[in-house]
Amino acid sequence: MNASDDMSDADVLIAARDSLSRVPLGGPPDVETIMARGRARRERMLIPGMTGTLTAAAGAAIAVTVLAPASHQAPSHRPTLQLAAWTVTRLADGNIAVTIRELKDPGGLQRTLRADGVPASVTFASQRNMACRRYPGGTPRQSPQPGTKLLKRVFPEPYNGLPAGPPPVPRGTRRSGPLARRPGHVTAPPKLSQNSSVMVIDPSALPSKAGVQLVAGPGAHAVGLPQVVYASRQCTGS
Amino acid sequence: VTNEQAEFADFFRASWEPCLRAVLAVVGSPQLAEDQVAEAFARAWGSWRKVRRHPAPRAWVVRTALNTGASWWRRRSRELPLDDHSLTASGDLTDGLDASLLAALRRLSPRQREVIALRIFLDIDTDTIARQLGIEAGTVRMHLSRGVLALRRELTTTKNHGG
Repeated sequence: MNASDDMSDADVLIAARDSLSRVPLGGPPDVETIMARGRARRERMLIPGMTGTLTAAAGAAIAVTVLAPASHQAPSHRPTLQLAAWTVTRLADGNIAVTIRELKDPGGLQRTLRADGVPASVTFASQRNMACRRYPGGTPRQSPQPGTKLLKRVFPEPYNGLPAGPPPVPRGTRRSGPLARRPGHVTAPPKLSQNSSVMVIDPSALPSKAGVQLVAGPGAHAVGLPQVVYASRQCTGS
Repeated sequence: VTNEQAEFADFFRASWEPCLRAVLAVVGSPQLAEDQVAEAFARAWGSWRKVRRHPAPRAWVVRTALNTGASWWRRRSRELPLDDHSLTASGDLTDGLDASLLAALRRLSPRQREVIALRIFLDIDTDTIARQLGIEAGTVRMHLSRGVLALRRELTTTKNHGG
């Protein structure tokens, strides 16, 4: 018998609360900033043109097919290219973050990915390249555990937010996720944003001759489960 | 400043910390938790006329924050077990937090952590938690019971080791 045995359930919960309450946190942001953010979001939902865009995208999907590169290449241009519809960012650890805000300009997204060292093919679902074949282990499983090991390696979990603003920079010696255990691979978690979907690709995790396929829609906020597919001339264009 | 704005500002200032701590208990990373809670409050203001009438507006914020921050993996499976890129792996929570409690939380499912977080930081009763999460009250009690059991076990172990 010890003190813990005598604790009621309420005592246990109080002890947990007290312990968690000791975690130091910053103060709240300015309420005006929060309200402006909420107002902007609400207005976006009410703008007729924006509504039309979302409606038009509702029946569409975007397929992003990325061919596994033979090797990593250092980006020869600015690491971050910011456009209205999407953003492609090379993270500090070499991974590629693709943020989709609107399903527009797939050709531009394709060119940007390739310029960033990732051979890629981007098409809309209505024009989906049916030549793409699913790679073994590259198809999501059913809930509750949809992700295979391969998928989780190719699409690292920590990147569940938008790398907004300047590209992430290393901060100290730690980060979450599988790559944290790789010496020299240190990346700050991306910032979250709204009305966007983010996919992060670890090209080095792709098997040889494999690429990935992402299906998004309806709306840029609903990126579906990406898949690993066989790379081929018909599927990826090279 | 309108009455609505003043009302929301009061709600925001009073609710920020408990909501943040509740989300933090689930996601494990202070930075992610802050991002997600800020986004949830922004959405709350965007839908304030609805949220202000919600029976548990803080729980709405927490739920929204967790939904907002869920990855595309976890959006499809809220019951995915906590793995090495969530709570604890980054070490974000280790400062100021009992290692034993951390270990206990790590072993809980996300849903169990969420139920415990709603209970201890927002002081929400079982029926309200059940309605908020869209599950049966009995399921909430089960999550709570298992969570408390795990926490108690850790506390007991610590006491024994510590003499």
